[in-house]
Amino acid sequence: MRNLFFLIIIFLLSSCLRLDDNLYNITDKITEYKLDNYTGENDFVLDNSYHIQDSLVHLFTLSSKASSESVATTISAIYIGSLSKIKTDTVIMYCHGNKWHMDFYWQRAKLLAHVSGKNKYGVLMIDYRGYGLSEGKPTEDGLYADVDAALQWLKINGLSDSRLMIYGFSMGTAPACELTAKPRSMTPSKIILEAPFASADVMANDGSGLNMPGSFFTNLKIDNAEEIKTISQPFCWIHGTNDKFLNIKTHGEVVYKNYKGLYQEAHRIEGADHGEIPVKMGFVNYLNTLSTFIKK
Amino acid sequence: MRLIFGYIFVLIILFSFQNCTPTRFVKPLEKKQNAIAANLGGPLIHFGKAVTPIPFTSVMYGRGITNSTTAFGSLHLTSLLFGNFQTDIGVCQRLYKNDSLKFGVTINPAVNMVYDKWNKNFRAWPQLDVNVYKDILKQKAFIYIGLTNWFELSSTKAHNENQTNHILINPHIGMTYNTKKWGYTLEGKFLQMNKNNKPNVVDYIGIQQHGAVGIYLNFTRRF
Repeated sequence: MRNLFFLIIIFLLSSCLRLDDNLYNITDKITEYKLDNYTGENDFVLDNSYHIQDSLVHLFTLSSKASSESVATTISAIYIGSLSKIKTDTVIMYCHGNKWHMDFYWQRAKLLAHVSGKNKYGVLMIDYRGYGLSEGKPTEDGLYADVDAALQWLKINGLSDSRLMIYGFSMGTAPACELTAKPRSMTPSKIILEAPFASADVMANDGSGLNMPGSFFTNLKIDNAEEIKTISQPFCWIHGTNDKFLNIKTHGEVVYKNYKGLYQEAHRIEGADHGEIPVKMGFVNYLNTLSTFIKK
Repeated sequence: MRLIFGYIFVLIILFSFQNCTPTRFVKPLEKKQNAIAANLGGPLIHFGKAVTPIPFTSVMYGRGITNSTTAFGSLHLTSLLFGNFQTDIGVCQRLYKNDSLKFGVTINPAVNMVYDKWNKNFRAWPQLDVNVYKDILKQKAFIYIGLTNWFELSSTKAHNENQTNHILINPHIGMTYNTKKWGYTLEGKFLQMNKNNKPNVVDYIGIQQHGAVGIYLNFTRRF
């Protein structure tokens, strides 16, 4: 009995170590955004035909305040397109993945600026708090607050819900799902998820081969597989069949299957690994796929 | 791009392979004999350019009920660090012993239980180890081979998807060297040999894209 008592005490006093802080990959520190001049690691580099003229690239900061915060956090953002045309343009809110910063995702954002033609649609991308030059420390609440701050900015600049498309890649599928399922400042009219993360439970199941809950290692509440059930907006899912990080069967297919909304389309890209979808699809095919979906 | 979630991968497998412990007892203790043990080791992974084992740790207590039956219980320290109470409780039962050929067969039925203090989730997995050992070096040491089997009884997994893995098979081979009071064991395990390790979040050192190879050290003090 005494031993049991000691065990309980040890358990109650056990360390509060969680993996949450380690989920965010912000290891590559930068002092400025280099965009086209960025020479670090990249998934792909576009040729000059995808060049965006400087006058259409707007680098600025936003104030973002999570519900748990008393003071707002300053985050960095890039808008590609004419600011004066936000009142009339379609805009893609691009929620990037977990790696580093906007320099790494610049080529992807530039590519999205060519959907339906060069600068036909505006593209907004942010660095979540703690990423790139954005201040603060990454948190799950912060992710949602930061993307919502970007949507507030779009709204202030004249964007309407019907012209807002939200695009999430990898970890970025979390704020994309969250803010579509539970809209704050704006309600996206369509959602595009590239290589979505299903949930921490799936991550734990995949790794262990057992029905092990994600709560054994993280307090993250990201649960796209459940959240997608409440989304009714048209949904485009793109996933590589060779995704070595987020398994298409256990992550992507589950998210796709759980969607109960108005319209859905799936693009399973043969042989593509986690970051390879635009390359494996081919840029033209990738852009046409998105264009067709957005215009539908 | 593969390491898109950075070093989370290394940490996730601390939990992904919680079924990574060396065999608790290959040979039963003598009646009324006690033992405490410390275990260290885990699956090998590529970490950068290096190959490294994940350092799972656990402590164990065992007591000889009879000369053929030993009861044991453990506490997984690595899990505890993260607020999970994990234990495996079971018995080591000798099934067969041949004194002239100096070998024997034992089984270890056990139950693994994990409870997390964050979300109050509880899971239990039955386990059955089977070992064949052979005394060597004038019985100062023995070598053994065996299977560690975990059983997943749940018919579903996350999001009510069908659970297709109901048994995880981990063959192992090891050697124990005994002094008067101490035992030192080195064990190699082929974790989850029946499970494809691709695609997955880490570069496991497996065999033909299956499972992961694990290395374990065990220090036992008998009294």
